[in-house]
Amino acid sequence: MNGLLQKVYDFVDERIDLKTLEAKMMNEPIKGGSRWAYVFGSCLLFIFIMQAITGILLMFYYIPSADHAYASTQYVIHEVDYGWFILSYHFWGSSAMVVMVFAHMSQVFLWGAYKKPREMIWLVGLVLFVIVMAFGFTGYLLPWDQRAYWATTVGVEIMDKTPIVGDFLARFLKGGPTPGQMTLSRFFVIHVMILPAALMGLAGLHLFFFRSAGPAGPFRGAPEELKAKTDFFFPRQVWKDIVAMATVFMAICTLAFIEPVQLLEQATPDPGDYHPEPEWYFLFLFQMLRLKVFSGELGQFVAGVAIPGAFLLLLAALPFIDRSPERNIFKRPVALLSWTVVMIGILVLTVSAILNREFLE
Amino acid sequence: MASPQPKIKSKVRCVDGEVGEIVHVIADPLSLDVSHIVVRANGTERQVPVSAIGAIRGESVELTCNAAQFSGFPELKRQDYVSSKEVEIPHLENRIHVEPGELLVPFPELEKNCARRSFFARFINVIGALIGLPLVWPVLRYIMKPMYVPYDNHWIKIGNISKIRTDDVGVQYIFKKSFKDSVLQREEDKNHWVIKASPETLKKIYPHGDIPFYDEKGEVIWVNKQTIPYVVFSGKCPHLGCGYKWRSHKTRGQVFLCPCHLSIYDAAGTVLDGPAPRPLDVLPIKVSASGDIEVIDVEYKAGRKEQIRIA
Repeated sequence: MNGLLQKVYDFVDERIDLKTLEAKMMNEPIKGGSRWAYVFGSCLLFIFIMQAITGILLMFYYIPSADHAYASTQYVIHEVDYGWFILSYHFWGSSAMVVMVFAHMSQVFLWGAYKKPREMIWLVGLVLFVIVMAFGFTGYLLPWDQRAYWATTVGVEIMDKTPIVGDFLARFLKGGPTPGQMTLSRFFVIHVMILPAALMGLAGLHLFFFRSAGPAGPFRGAPEELKAKTDFFFPRQVWKDIVAMATVFMAICTLAFIEPVQLLEQATPDPGDYHPEPEWYFLFLFQMLRLKVFSGELGQFVAGVAIPGAFLLLLAALPFIDRSPERNIFKRPVALLSWTVVMIGILVLTVSAILNREFLE
Repeated sequence: MASPQPKIKSKVRCVDGEVGEIVHVIADPLSLDVSHIVVRANGTERQVPVSAIGAIRGESVELTCNAAQFSGFPELKRQDYVSSKEVEIPHLENRIHVEPGELLVPFPELEKNCARRSFFARFINVIGALIGLPLVWPVLRYIMKPMYVPYDNHWIKIGNISKIRTDDVGVQYIFKKSFKDSVLQREEDKNHWVIKASPETLKKIYPHGDIPFYDEKGEVIWVNKQTIPYVVFSGKCPHLGCGYKWRSHKTRGQVFLCPCHLSIYDAAGTVLDGPAPRPLDVLPIKVSASGDIEVIDVEYKAGRKEQIRIA
């Protein structure tokens, strides 16, 4: 560090103990050493920061009104310099976020890292998962094109099927009995204010709990061997994290270039030739609702509300049900089988939703 | 550091021999000056002022008193002190070189025997609630303002029957609906489906005779006569609210099909296949002498067996 910078650093350090703070952040011992498997959490933080930056940039031009939302989004895409890129990055970033959440949760699940004493980290993580999905759902409406309108219409109708509170919840989200300006206003404020604040707070808590309980480390290996391989967060893990972040960044940029966001017609209750469909990460749920077994009033409740709700509750209860300290996934056949079944289920439903498109043409 | 500080576990010697070892160090939380050392001797912890320390040599502390005088130092009153781990003390580690947790700081005089601590805690919560609770109702009402609005019972012209050539064939009517949406005056494209029903189809549509329509008070605003062959189905799929189409199906011929979740209805709106819980919704219809079709844009909640009107 050159003279002046060093002086500034020393000035700050003398007052707030910067060196210790820095050391504490970087010198986190990682049991068994740094690994590529641990990069997902850091990647999520990176993706979120980029979503926040691109999101703020989009708000410079976006107008959250049913009259102007569509036109202002088109303006961003077609008129504003690099607007198409900022919007497309934000769009693909949201997909990357969902993919990374799945990877992160899978890693924690397979490594048995949700077990005691890390239950609190897991629970906060689940809330963060719901927040990420809510981000995707609310953000989808904002361009106010047909895709946006119909995904929201159907999505809110599904929530309406929640017993007792469903009608209130649906009206609360729509800001009335039918989708319109109030829906857009509400989704906007939820997407740009409420969810970001909630995510920042809870992600902070998630990290705080993580640092308090410490990383779980590998699920097998003798203590002496793990001790010998242990290193600090900096530099090896930070290096792996930054390489992963750069990879994610390049992947999102590539997608934004190859497949930039293009809007459909402006939102209206007449779908025209458009076949409504949600974003790909909700396709499995969408396809499930098509199944004959989930027909009728009860079927919709089961597929749209009960199964996803029960699945989330099961995940929340997981560390309290699965109390065995065994973390090795190859010695937890039920866990491995469940994970495989869920993943295959989601995959099959998603693929069949895509195949069904052809049938509709 | 000017002078060496006493260390935890240092041996403590009086002028006439060793008496024990240091188990705690007591410091002032503001000045961070060490005021006492706590020495454990024969199972008793005694509080020795630093003024009694003659010299500190490495791991050994020499007192200026003798063993008899040492026994005169007061025993540690642990309850009057709190571990430095539990107190926020800035720059602690820069000034005091002992293990955290072994360092004790005195409870402030005002905090000793403060019988009202729990009273304060409760009172603070009560005041918080007094600020928060009165806001609950206004905020709820504020947010709920647009959620429950009266039904729109206006007749809207959607087109002319001259468009319909064949019986029992769905014909789409796309129309513009103007309405006030909060402060905006907006116009939206909407669509409903009209069929000219054959007598058999008409019987399926009106199995219980004429269909009455109600306002929110439960009063009849209109009755669709079963003798009128023109029937309008709401464009909103009763499954989950998508827009369905009249199209040909591989095995069922011409049907209403919703591309979202693949519900299939016949020309009478009856569910043939798919997840829909009820038939297509029939809307109030008026056909003028010149053939103009007017409807009330009634909207029912999707996904329910029974029709629940929401707009």
